[in-house]
Amino acid sequence: MFFHIVLERNMQLHPRHFGRDLREKLVSKLMKDVEGTCSGRHGFIVAITGIESVGKGLIRDGTGFVTFPVKYQCVVFRPFKGEILEAVVTMVNKMGFFAEAGPVQIFVSNHLIPDDMEFQSGDVPNYTTSDGSVKIQKESEVRLKIIGTRVDATEIFCIGTIKDDFLGVISDPGANA
Amino acid sequence: MSLTADSPVHSSSSDDFAAFLDAELDSASDVSPDQHEVENEEAEGEEEVEDEEGQDEDGGDGDDLDDGASDSSRYYKILCEAWISSRGEPAETSGASLALDICSHPGVMGGMCIRCGQKVENESGVAFGYIHKNLRLADDEIARLRDKDLKNLLRHKKLYLVLDLDHTLLNSARLADISAEELYLKDQREVLPDALRSNLFKLDWIHMMTKLRPFVHTFLKEASSLFEMYIYTMGERPYALEMASLLDPGGIYFHSRVIAQGDCTQRHQKGLDVVVGQESAVLILDDTEAVWGKHKENLILMERYHFFTSSCRQFGLKCKSLSATKSDENEAEGALASVLKVLQQIHSLFFDPERRDNIMERDVRQVLKQVRKEILKGCKIVFTRVFPTQFQAENHHLWKLAEQLGATCSTEVDQSVTHVVSMDAGTDKSRWAVKEKKFLVHPRWIEAANYLWRKPLEENFLVSS
Repeated sequence: MFFHIVLERNMQLHPRHFGRDLREKLVSKLMKDVEGTCSGRHGFIVAITGIESVGKGLIRDGTGFVTFPVKYQCVVFRPFKGEILEAVVTMVNKMGFFAEAGPVQIFVSNHLIPDDMEFQSGDVPNYTTSDGSVKIQKESEVRLKIIGTRVDATEIFCIGTIKDDFLGVISDPGANA
Repeated sequence: MSLTADSPVHSSSSDDFAAFLDAELDSASDVSPDQHEVENEEAEGEEEVEDEEGQDEDGGDGDDLDDGASDSSRYYKILCEAWISSRGEPAETSGASLALDICSHPGVMGGMCIRCGQKVENESGVAFGYIHKNLRLADDEIARLRDKDLKNLLRHKKLYLVLDLDHTLLNSARLADISAEELYLKDQREVLPDALRSNLFKLDWIHMMTKLRPFVHTFLKEASSLFEMYIYTMGERPYALEMASLLDPGGIYFHSRVIAQGDCTQRHQKGLDVVVGQESAVLILDDTEAVWGKHKENLILMERYHFFTSSCRQFGLKCKSLSATKSDENEAEGALASVLKVLQQIHSLFFDPERRDNIMERDVRQVLKQVRKEILKGCKIVFTRVFPTQFQAENHHLWKLAEQLGATCSTEVDQSVTHVVSMDAGTDKSRWAVKEKKFLVHPRWIEAANYLWRKPLEENFLVSS
């Protein structure tokens, strides 16, 4: 799920940046530091959308660095257990398949793929129903449900399932738009 | 208080609970946003990971609630109790389908069960690092996968083939080890013959030069229709992947089936335990017998391919390398071409429509043994000046090898003997062989038979006196 929230961070800035562009420097450093990172509570920080406020700087003794408390608005992405996501399949093998929804990697094991879908090896490994009407292979788009999440410092990893009603390959290309 | 034991897949109740929790927590954090946000963000990330784990040990659902603050965990407990009491029964015995809810945890991916998503602490099972760095599968699950996969594979009339890289499919040398005689490979690429140029790669980013064995492309193409192929090398993973992309630029033969050094479960040994394939259907091509301790019966030993001088030196060979003499293995009669014929033969014997036995119970190792027995069939061999005097002849590897190849071995000469294998033309038995017009051959003749999969011409293995 995406959230638009306000977060705060203490930014340390080198004295060489003090001057007219201080604010811009602060913002660009903030973007470099936090965009693309994960935190356990908020999930993946996708983008900073605005600066709420920059607090008073505090000069550090000895180094000359200044610490600014910066409040910023950002879009975060956090998968939840039970959440339905749409993802792109990246790898298919005997154990199941891997899919990606933006920064989140999801593994769907063959236990959680409907029983009528069988693994087919060959040039393009895939899971196919016996009548061949539904096929999951690399680059397929699937709708899946998250049943477990794990958030590390740099990545979010999930276990998903497509063994439920209305889950599986998204046949209608418009559904993903 | 294991709430997550309710498999979320089958029970809607835990979904409701998750939603319930989220709703409650969201509203809770809305009330006091300042409290949460004012903390230093940098320190927070680390703290939270720890907090999460701490809660998991309690059996709590750490995901939906990773607030480290003690008040929120108290709040969580209250919520749980509220939830349980609202359902009117304790969580453990709830759920109409208790049997469904118990998961055997067939595998673990990054600390979560691949089937129910529950956090699993134990680190048992076999690691499948080549599929995903965090994947471990339990033995039962591997057995189940193998069984299922074998059925699927046999239906497509295929078997498994595990391929070694170095000296089997290709030969690599570090750029620093390229000798003066070989510099032409590096510096005069434009003037090399096409056949050589298309199989020779200079990989600057890994400081290597790699020469693919002649016939390898045809080999892979033909073999891929009969086998599901794995690469299994003692090299490092980046090297293995680089080589896989040279052998299989289209990515159609190997996919993710590249096993490298780090994936082996035992040091200095290659095991089939990380291959999702029933041992009875696996054939292995490798140039080193010793690494396949447990799986010698599946192994087809390959003659080593030494293209570069450094490779010869590494194995203590004094002869000039192929690159130094500007030659190469014969494409049509080289090791890969002859082994492909053997593979095709084994495949057709395995899937022989005449066979009446159950296909699931067939064993490719038996077929391999049978094919090997045909090579020197009808030969009766006597050894002279080959084994050390005190050595028990039956235990010598050449004796065993000759028997595996279908020959009969004997210690005494008589009229039924066809070949005398000797290191020295001057012994009694050697002289007897010459007198009786029997073949007098060097021990290399037996080794050659093992590599070539046919009886080699005796004239090429004469014993010098």
